[in-house]
Amino acid sequence: MKLLLIEDEKELALSIQKYLTHKDFVCEWVYKKQDAIEKISMYEYDCILLDLMLPDGNGFEILKEIKDQNKSEGIIIISAKETLETKIEGFRIGADDYLTKPFHLSELLVRIQALIRRKNFNGNNIVVFNEINIDILSKTVRVNNKLIDTTKKEIDLLLYLIGNENRVLSKSAIAEHLSGDMADMLDNHDFVYAHIKNLKKKLNEAGSRDYIKSVYGLGYKWKND
Amino acid sequence: MTKNLLHTTLSVYLLYSLLILLIAAPVLYFATQQLYLQEADDTLLLHKKEFIQYVAPTMDKEDIGAWNKFNRNRKIYPAESLQNDSIYNTTYYDTLDAELEPYRELKASVTIQDRIYTYTSKINLVESEDIIKSIGLLFFITISVLLAGLFFITKRLSLSLWKPFYKILQQIETFEIDKTQTLQFTPGRIEEFNRLRISIQKLIERNTSIYATQKEFIENAAHELQTPLAVFQAKIDSLMQRTDVTQGQSEILDSLNTAVARFNRLNKNLLLLSKMENAVYSDKITISLTNYIHKNLDFFKEQANAKNIHIKIDIEKNMGIKLNPILADILISNLFLNAIKHNIQDGEIIISAKKGNLKFSNSGQAMPLKQEHLFNRFSKVNPSEDGTGLGLSIIKKIADINHFKVSYHYTSNLHSFTITF
Repeated sequence: MKLLLIEDEKELALSIQKYLTHKDFVCEWVYKKQDAIEKISMYEYDCILLDLMLPDGNGFEILKEIKDQNKSEGIIIISAKETLETKIEGFRIGADDYLTKPFHLSELLVRIQALIRRKNFNGNNIVVFNEINIDILSKTVRVNNKLIDTTKKEIDLLLYLIGNENRVLSKSAIAEHLSGDMADMLDNHDFVYAHIKNLKKKLNEAGSRDYIKSVYGLGYKWKND
Repeated sequence: MTKNLLHTTLSVYLLYSLLILLIAAPVLYFATQQLYLQEADDTLLLHKKEFIQYVAPTMDKEDIGAWNKFNRNRKIYPAESLQNDSIYNTTYYDTLDAELEPYRELKASVTIQDRIYTYTSKINLVESEDIIKSIGLLFFITISVLLAGLFFITKRLSLSLWKPFYKILQQIETFEIDKTQTLQFTPGRIEEFNRLRISIQKLIERNTSIYATQKEFIENAAHELQTPLAVFQAKIDSLMQRTDVTQGQSEILDSLNTAVARFNRLNKNLLLLSKMENAVYSDKITISLTNYIHKNLDFFKEQANAKNIHIKIDIEKNMGIKLNPILADILISNLFLNAIKHNIQDGEIIISAKKGNLKFSNSGQAMPLKQEHLFNRFSKVNPSEDGTGLGLSIIKKIADINHFKVSYHYTSNLHSFTITF
């Protein structure tokens, strides 16, 4: 998978690039509008991460350029602009997702994966991890081909954990992912523990191996031993 | 006790007038009486002079009887010796009116044909009393009419004179600095009021501009903080991925994580408050409060489960209110989270929505909260807790911009926040 990151904040860009460059992901980074447009017209990407405020222009102009060239890349806007108007404008021009800064890198990664899945698998949206099989459209989880009873939140959590395989996820990152819009108000992340515990139990009971590891003092990690 | 301007002016006028009337009435009475007596005395003396000059030289002893017979008010009696003139008040019985009547009498010595007589002359004072009374009455009427006129004119004049003042007053009273409205003062004829108007206008403009600058500052600050915050967050996320992190470092990382999450929440909530002040969420629709409460109930139940809190809901079906949908979500969430956050282990939350009231009651600390700064930004009941201190001020702000009322009560160990729509 090829990603293009358009972001003028160097330190942030480096962290994103490092976090995303993994397994089958390659992430290229540009910080100027002009460079971005050049790259886009020359190469094909699976997903473009777009900051709106750039030194030589506005991210919306790049977005328009991509649409004018009839490119089919998935586009996620990453911006400090959090007003509803900006978001609506972004979606109207053709962005697929909008992530407000600051965000957790783990959140960005699962958004990219979800977007690529939506783009690539037509009507057949399935995530497989060893003996675990998740059908995203019908919202069902199978372990060793046996259906297990999970809540919507647990499937969400499972996808988030698998998507961030081998990465340490803090409790607050998981809490923010699970609570969506409510995250800004939430100051207690104790409920994460209950969700992890339930999911772990259900997977184990169905015969799955124990992939969810506690990382002392930090949070959790999905690890394939 | 405060009185209004017109009232004070008029009562001072009235008091002064009454005082003058009280003093003037007896003074006038005595002065008139004195004047009348003077007049009577002059008449008596004139009569006596006339008598001595023209009558006495022509009279002889026999005429005295006839004189006394035909003169009711002037009599002549024989006397022993010469005496000085004396004038005094006395009374005589009036056979016609059958009552005692006051008289002014002159007693003087006269000489008729070398013999000494006493000459008396008197004037009835009844008429004078009548005249004094009439004058008094006239005076009273004149003064009263004058006063009434003065009162009326002052009132009318003051009302029209002070009209611009009351208009300015009314405008200032309805002015709210956080609303985007400008005061339009129309200049008038009176110089002082124009000065007042200009001063107030300047004062308001200055304050509004300071307020706007401050508001802008908070918004810009919150906005500008987002990018470094994003870097901070990303760096912590990256650091956490390193395999060489020791246990001690993990603990520090975890604290940093908590702090950055809190920082982020604070920043978002400050932005939210700023946006509300800038009337970003001003478009309203009629929403069903019931739906909004049920919509996120699962989420809140999950939060409440951590403390094993029991939630009881008693709400009317289809309670509709006019509110911006985003704000409705924020309002309900904040009320919910407030009730969960300040709750105790195994506590309870009672939500009731009826008759235009939405009430969230929760168990918690066993004493009422201090009302004073409850809804102020960053005012926390317990300064060490990791809340943002903005939840209640967000609730208050939403209520304020929609003209709802928020109140806090503490009864039977329950803390209740009530929104009245």
